[in-house]
Amino acid sequence: MGDRSTRFLWPVLGLPAMVWIALFFLVPLYVVLCVSFGTVDPIFRSPVPIWNPLEWQFTQVGVVWDRLVGPDNFYLPAVLRTLLYVVIAVVSCLIIAFPVAYFTARYAGKYKGLVLALLVAPFFISYMMRMLAWINLLQPDGLVNSIITLGGTVPLDINWLSGNPYTVVMGLIYGYVPYMLLPLFAALDRISPSLLEAARDLGASGFDLFRRVVLPMSLPGIVAGTLLISLPMMGDYFTSDMLSKSPNTAMIGNLINLSIATPGQSGQAGALLILVLLVLLIPMILYTRSNARAEVRS
Amino acid sequence: MAPSPQPRRPVSRRRLLQTSALALPAAWALGACAREQPLSGPTGAESSAASSASGSAAPSPSETGIPIASPQNPVKWPINPGNEPIASDLEPEANATLRLYNYPDYVWNRVLKGFQEEYKDYNVTVELSTFNDLPEALTKIRTGSVPYDVAFLTYNYLGRLVYGDLIRPLNHSYIPKISDAWDEFQNPWYDLEWQYTVPYTVYTTGIGWRNDLIPEDIGARPNPYDVFWDSKYAGEIAVLDDDREVIGMTILRDGGTDVNTADPAVLGATRDAMLEMLSLSQPRVTITGYTDIPEGVLSLSQCWSGDMITGQYYLPEGVDPSVLRYWSPPTGQGLIGNDFLCLPKGGENPVLAHHFLNYMLTNDVALENFSWVGYQPPMKSLSPDTMVADGWVPENLAAAVVKPEWFQVGYPLLELPPAVEAEYQAIWQQFKAGA
Repeated sequence: MGDRSTRFLWPVLGLPAMVWIALFFLVPLYVVLCVSFGTVDPIFRSPVPIWNPLEWQFTQVGVVWDRLVGPDNFYLPAVLRTLLYVVIAVVSCLIIAFPVAYFTARYAGKYKGLVLALLVAPFFISYMMRMLAWINLLQPDGLVNSIITLGGTVPLDINWLSGNPYTVVMGLIYGYVPYMLLPLFAALDRISPSLLEAARDLGASGFDLFRRVVLPMSLPGIVAGTLLISLPMMGDYFTSDMLSKSPNTAMIGNLINLSIATPGQSGQAGALLILVLLVLLIPMILYTRSNARAEVRS
Repeated sequence: MAPSPQPRRPVSRRRLLQTSALALPAAWALGACAREQPLSGPTGAESSAASSASGSAAPSPSETGIPIASPQNPVKWPINPGNEPIASDLEPEANATLRLYNYPDYVWNRVLKGFQEEYKDYNVTVELSTFNDLPEALTKIRTGSVPYDVAFLTYNYLGRLVYGDLIRPLNHSYIPKISDAWDEFQNPWYDLEWQYTVPYTVYTTGIGWRNDLIPEDIGARPNPYDVFWDSKYAGEIAVLDDDREVIGMTILRDGGTDVNTADPAVLGATRDAMLEMLSLSQPRVTITGYTDIPEGVLSLSQCWSGDMITGQYYLPEGVDPSVLRYWSPPTGQGLIGNDFLCLPKGGENPVLAHHFLNYMLTNDVALENFSWVGYQPPMKSLSPDTMVADGWVPENLAAAVVKPEWFQVGYPLLELPPAVEAEYQAIWQQFKAGA
């Protein structure tokens, strides 16, 4: 009797989510595919999707491929630049977030929740508003320069907003650091204090404790945080648009955004998007598999 | 107790085929949802799905049947059957919401409130929506999702708007104030006999800067455009976020005059010059020079003339407005253009929309709007020779005043054949990719 009732219970409970995914992920993804393998209206230059996969055309994907790895590979610098920015930003986020998460998990005691909420509170404000705030702070006569130059007494002429790569990377770090903090905290909070004490009792130094106990046990959090922030960073266009506006800091997201905004090139935007998606699927699959293996082991 | 996991059922071949079969109706449904809007132009040009990757395989306008207007080839657009102008002497719609579609910050709210006040007997509400660029505007007007009554556009897309049956022709009897506009715009080359449009603003494209940050007379250089290739100003300067404007400026800098060229050699040289600019001066790409230059975020930028006039109001406290400068070729032989107002066909209040066009061409209204947007209306009452003396434009920005005769010698950015447009886009993408 119980079996019969639960046989339908879980599928029914899961149905809304499945419908949601089908409507708002699978269908849009299929539309993007149809646009990428479609054609262009000759007059209005708008995309003409081809809905039947048997009739798909590969010209738009071919153009994007040529621009990535062909002789006319002017997309490649932006791709390499994006990878570099993402690696630097992810490592920086990890370096910033790890001690904070460790402190919160181990030493914040009963104020753990409060500390965490305060750390994340600035990020309740929308990403766009925070970037706009940074634009004000980083103006030549803004607060940041006022502090650095001690109110103008030190003659330093720094224009943060002149299209610098470091401003973009800083924006990425600032924008995404809480999404690294939360999974790290979750992983570190799960480590039993008695385990740490046992390691200490067995003679582990502080460094050994970190290297042989804390780090391995927080690895799922590190991997989750890294994936959680690197995936959206790969498609980020807003940070460079807001804080730099320079072609010299253009990322893949900027190329996609430009193609979408250019008449007749939505198909190329879709093709670029799919290529990025395929590349990003690899770490996602690896992560899922490693998680599954870890579950089996435990 | 946790429920025992359900045994995983392997996907059989039959099941896979069943699932795949489900995808076919889905594809059909999506296809049916797609809106096909065949063109209804008199030539019978139809919107076919021609294959085009970068657009280079797309047919030229002669194939599409849409002529390309230019000063040398003025065009009188057809009036499509069923899209005749509204009748004369109709009363404006009462209790109406007049929907405007415009760039942000490109019309003064006070002017719109003035219209509401003037037509208060009809209980009119004006609602303003904005777009970021013309492709976005065209797409939205085409979908017809919002019944815009008035759109603020430029002539790059006029042919498509007419042949797509997306705008309605004007009944001139409602717009007597057109006589107050410059003569050039009472019979413009892009819309002979102003069948579909009335002028809104005129502008040149030039160079704006703050001379306290760049204490150099840019206009005194043998070739002022060279400033964008000057590594001395690396990181301090910007070009407009507009492919046509930057490519056009580069062509002029290299001694060309055809800013709409299809010559592959010229376009190749232009691309190389733009990439050289990128490495030498590392320009930013933005259309917010009107705030960035006054605020000192940029020292110098390619910009439109109206940007510098309105830029005075964005200067930080304590900065003298006289530091702003603008240069465009003093002979008028530079990039020049104008925007216009037109009436999307889907608008629900065509009579009121006609009244609005007439209202915007009223001298006092046009001048009031100019005082806020900074873009010059082509009105006879606003004499370019006296705009500085009359206090409309400060002395240091006298070069931002547009003269009617410049439209005889300036270089407008025209609509391009799709294949050429695709070449321009490829150059722009390479430039913006920082390659």
